[in-house]
This record gives sequence, structure tokens and C-alpha cells, in this order.
Amino acid sequence: MAHTTTYAKTSWDTLHNNGPFPLKYLQITELESNSTLPNAIARYNDATLEIQQLIQQALAHNQGFRAYGSRWSMSSIAHQKDRLHYNGYMNLDIPIPVDAVRSDSPYQVENLFFFQCGNTIKEISQKLSQSGKSLKTSGASNGQTIAGCISTGVHGSALDVGAIQDYVVGIQLITGPKAKDVLYLERHTKPALTSAFVHQLNATVIRNDELFNAALVSLGSFGFIHGVVIEAEDRFLLHRYVRKVDKQLALSLADTMDFSSQVLIPEAVDRNGKPLRPYHYKVFINQYVNDPQYVIEVMYKKPYVTPYPDPFTIINKSLYRDLIHLLIKISEKYPKTIPWFIKKLEKQILPDVNEETLGTLYETFWDAPYQGPAFACSFGVDHKDSSKVLELLTKTTLQEGPIPGIFAMRFVKGGKATLGFTKFPITCVIEIDGVLWQKTNKLISLKEYSNKMITVLQQHNIDFTLHWGKNADWSYPGLINYMYSAKAEEWKKFRTALLRPELARVFSNHFLESTKLSDSVSVVPQDLIVSL
Amino acid sequence: MRKTTFSILFIIVVLLCFTSCYSVRIVSSQGTVNPDPMSERADFYRDKMIIELDTVVKASAFTDEVSFIASGTRCKSGKLHSVEYKNSFGASLLYLVTFGSRRKVKIKYVCLKTEN
Ligand SMILES: Cc1cc2nc3c(=O)[nH]c(=O)nc-3n(C[C@H](O)[C@H](O)[C@H](O)COP(=O)(O)OP(=O)(O)OC[C@H]3O[C@@H](n4cnc5c(N)ncnc54)[C@H](O)[C@@H]3O)c2cc1C
Repeated sequence: MAHTTTYAKTSWDTLHNNGPFPLKYLQITELESNSTLPNAIARYNDATLEIQQLIQQALAHNQGFRAYGSRWSMSSIAHQKDRLHYNGYMNLDIPIPVDAVRSDSPYQVENLFFFQCGNTIKEISQKLSQSGKSLKTSGASNGQTIAGCISTGVHGSALDVGAIQDYVVGIQLITGPKAKDVLYLERHTKPALTSAFVHQLNATVIRNDELFNAALVSLGSFGFIHGVVIEAEDRFLLHRYVRKVDKQLALSLADTMDFSSQVLIPEAVDRNGKPLRPYHYKVFINQYVNDPQYVIEVMYKKPYVTPYPDPFTIINKSLYRDLIHLLIKISEKYPKTIPWFIKKLEKQILPDVNEETLGTLYETFWDAPYQGPAFACSFGVDHKDSSKVLELLTKTTLQEGPIPGIFAMRFVKGGKATLGFTKFPITCVIEIDGVLWQKTNKLISLKEYSNKMITVLQQHNIDFTLHWGKNADWSYPGLINYMYSAKAEEWKKFRTALLRPELARVFSNHFLESTKLSDSVSVVPQDLIVSL
Repeated sequence: MRKTTFSILFIIVVLLCFTSCYSVRIVSSQGTVNPDPMSERADFYRDKMIIELDTVVKASAFTDEVSFIASGTRCKSGKLHSVEYKNSFGASLLYLVTFGSRRKVKIKYVCLKTEN
């Protein structure tokens, strides 16, 4: 049997110390060993039963229960004051045989993979690589779990690909302790697995596009995501260039996403000399310097051919954490020193200009070193508004700050998830990342800073979203309605239909309550979540 | 005069301590680190299941090298993700004054996560 160890705790924190938050119990489930139970499906089903028991315990004690992955989210989305469940050891992968894929499925069987929730992006990439496959995109690093990624909508800067949840084709959910609470969801318009295969997982199939889209970015609140089916693709290489270009050019590319009229990288052109469209485009902005140029990072997709030069730098240096701590302490007292510090640290924070690498997705977006307490605020806007929003946000930062962080812009193709924050045809994700500070009489708090940014965007009627896993003033009045309006209602409607009221409470948390997404909807059509 | 000599000696020892106290870490580019959900560390090893060896190995005239085996409940996979070796002035001194028969070993290592 899979077994769970329960630890009595008083607090819990995120990786980057955005808490601490109160906690009663931390639960850690480990799988039965494969020498005792060699069949992957048997071990997976065994784990299902274990999770159902934990849900039953939470119900019996009238407590909340929330799964978390690598605790990389900086908002309190992964926190539950009663019971937190760590998924990291639940890292099975279940082979999908040819006859497990429906004949009317648009997917190629060799591209479909079934992963248990606690597999990290790194583990998945390695497993896919063994079959010559790759994820289509990832975030800038690889430590998040697959369930954690889709629950907040993790993205990279793949402008024509989308975010991680956009290549998920099936989700296996545990919504309660009863046998009927084990569900497998997929789109009815794009089915993947046969019902016979799903039944081996003791799950009931629901093929329903709208339910699936609502469950895709579920904020940890649609039940326990036990497994996901993803669509991979053939392994490819990314040729990465870092350059400094005129501000105007960097911004006009952001606003238009038109890469056809300007040669950025002389060798990144087709046979006729026309510029290639990059796979990835990112702009770095140090708002504290008046440099006429910005550092940009562009990547072009190439077929996978070996050999290629080792993309890893042999010696890695990271900033001395005590030094960062000291700088922050000084900055809290003397905020005017922040721009100077950032300028001095620019070399460490930004990639080296003229750097070039060639590597797989796995190699390009590799491990992120732990750098101590950190914050990140991340806005999604229509890419056409990129330069305008950047100006508004940097101006606010200069006026209200200085804040110890710098801006960057990434670009992500829109997806179908009901609450996906990459909701525009191409979303520009404008983010400020930096070191966490404490409010002083000279420096506003992170929440106040976020509040100012939200206010300024609303004052300028900018349609925007926020990354669910990042810092924000999440209790800003009317925030969710402003960002998602009818979509938020739709999400709540599906959540109400999926979870019995007592289980809706179990899978809720303070984050959901403060955003009012925990509210149930009074009228839900009876056939809302039927299989179509 | 004796006081000055003592101070100079003290400074030299302190400087030696700093310069001879260093660590080197080798990290694998493949494999996933074994996580530690109970971790409260605030350094490179945050959230990693770290195993620390801080011991003095007795060597004899016949001992050429010493090996440690990566295994056990904290290293179920038996495979290595990273190894950090730390040398300190004290360790060097011990080696010198015992003519190599006592060797202070300070190693931190992390294993790979078990594949399922
Ligand atoms: C160093 C670093 C780099 C980052 N880079 C990026 C980036 O490039 N792009 C980007 O978009 N974001 C980025 N982020 C943010 C981060 O990737 C996201 O917040 C992500 O959701 C974290 O994944 P996780 O596995 O740590 O999940 P957690 O933070 O542990 O949890 C996130 C959510 O998932 C839910 N959840 C987890 N597992 C389950 C499950 N089994 N069932 C139900 N719900 C579950 C939790 O309840 C919670 O609501 C970064 C964060 C850090 C610290």
C-alpha cells in the first residue's frame, strides 16, 4: 500500500518565503515500491485509494485538504490552514499502449504520455527524452510539478505555442472518497483515451469541452489532480541569442509580434533572406537606467541533430545570499540606493549580452538556483498593449518605489482554459521579479505596490490578468470580475456542479475565499457536466 | 614585542583560516534531485534531501583512499545528484600534525529522486 506520513506542524512557507502561513498537518504520501507492486497501473490505483482516505479524514474532521507540488508559487494559492499534502513522491508514469487511444482521436499515440501529479517538469523532460520526445514549452526553469503548473497556468515565452496547460489532453481527478469520485476528464471534441483504458484506472470518463477547460487551470480547487495526459512532440533544439537592441525596436516587436520585417539575428533567416519567426522572445528592462537599448533574448526552433556543443556552462556562480540580504536591509532604510544596487548587480541579474547557446528545451530552461526570499508580480495583457502597459508600470514603480526588482516581458499564445491568465490571442506577460523586502516608513509594502499597479491599469482601462502563482493584492475589490467577468462565473458554475458542497469546502482555501471564487452558484443545469 | 608577534601570528592564522576554508560542489546535469518537503534550509540545499558527513577518518600506513557509499533511507535511489567537498584550515592542520593518519572529511551530498 502507498503510505502517508502525517506531521503536526504550526506553519508552512513557500520556496521563496512569501509566508509563513499557519498549518495543522503536513501529509506526505509515498508509493508502494515497484518491487512489491511492479504494475504501474496497480500502483497508481493503490495511490488513488490512499488519497481518497486522506480526503475522507479531512471531511471527517471538517478540515480543508490541499495538494501542493514544489511550493514554487509565491501567492498563497498552495496554502491551506488545515491539511497540506505534498505530492513530490507521486511520480509514476503510465505507458499508454496503442490500443488505449481512440481511433477517432486527433492525437498520435506516440505523442501521448500519462504522468502522475508529482512529476516535475525536469523529470517529465527526461522521461520524454528517452523516447526522443520533448515538452512543447515550459517555464524559465524546471522544478515545478505538472499538477502545480497547470493549476496556475505556467508559461514560458513561446509566442506561437501557449502555456503548459495548453498541451494537456486529459486530467484524472479525485473529487472525494467514494468510488464515483474518481474521474477522468477530456475534451469531447478532442478525445484521447478509450473508456476501456480509463476503466483500468477505476475512473469514470467525462468528455466535455467546457468542464475540461474549467478544470484545466483549477487553482487547486477542483479536487486532487492525480494524473495528466499530455501531448508531447519530437525533440527539438533551441538556438538562443542574447542581444542588445534599440528600445524602439524591442517595443515595436512586442506590440506587433511582427518579426518579418527586421533582421534581428543575421543567421536566423530563411533561404530568401527573410527573418525567421522566433519560438521565444523576451525583453529585459531595468527601469532605473536610461539606456537607449534593451537586452532581448530570442530563440529559434531547430531540428534535433547531434552532436551539438555542450550548452551547460561548467562553472556556475550565484550571488552571495548574505550580500543580497544586506542590500535589502540597506534598501529598506534608504530606498534611494536601490537603483544603484540594481545597476551594480545588472551583470548577475541579466543574461550576458551576445551569449549564444544551442540545446534542447530541457537544457535551455534548466535548474534555477535558490536565491533567498523573493517576490514576483506578473500581469498578462494583450501584446498590442505591451509598450503602453510597460510604461505605466515602470512609471508607477519609479513613483511609488524604488522597488528592488526589474521588469521583463514574455509572450504566450492564448489558450482555452476558462481561468487561464494567458487569455489574449498573444498575451504579453509583464513581470517584475526581485528580492523580498519589508515595509518601512520609506518603502511601501509589496501588497500596496501591487495595489497601485492594479489601480493604474484600471484607471487606464487596460484589460489585464494576473499570474495566479505570483504576488498581488488578491483581495483588491472586484479584481476577479474585472479580469474574467463571465468566465469567472462559468468556472464557479462548473466547480459547483463537480463538487458536493462539503467537498467544495475541503478543496477551498483562503486564497479562493479572498478572491470570492469559492462561492457556489445557485442555479446549475443538471446536465452541465455530463459526458458528451 | 612578544605581543606584536602574537598579534601577527593570530592575523596569519585567521587569514589562513579564510583562505584555506573553501568548498567545491559538483552537480549533475541529468537526473532530478531527491526532494525534502520538511526542509527549512535557506541555501542551495533548500528543499533538497541533503546528507552531511562530518567525520574524522583514521587512516593507516596501508590506507590509500577512503570511500563512502551513497545509500540508505535518505538516498533510496543510490544515485548522486551533487557532492560538495569542504576543506578547512583545521582539516589541513589535522592532516599535517598527524602525518596524514587523521583526515577530517566534510562532505554534503544529495541523491537523485527515485524513479517510479
Ligand atoms: C524559481 C521560479 C521560477 C518560476 N518561473 C516561472 C515561469 O517561468 N513561468 C511561470 O508561469 N511561472 C513561474 N514561476 C511560478 C511557478 O512556476 C508556478 O507558481 C507553479 O504553479 C508552481 O508549481 P508547483 O509545482 O511548485 O506548485 P505549487 O506552487 O506547490 O502549487 C500551485 C497550485 O497547484 C495546486 N496543486 C499542486 N498539485 C496539485 C494536485 N495534485 N492537485 C490539485 N492541485 C494541485 C496547489 O494547490 C496550488 O493551488 C516560477 C516560480 C519560481 C519560484
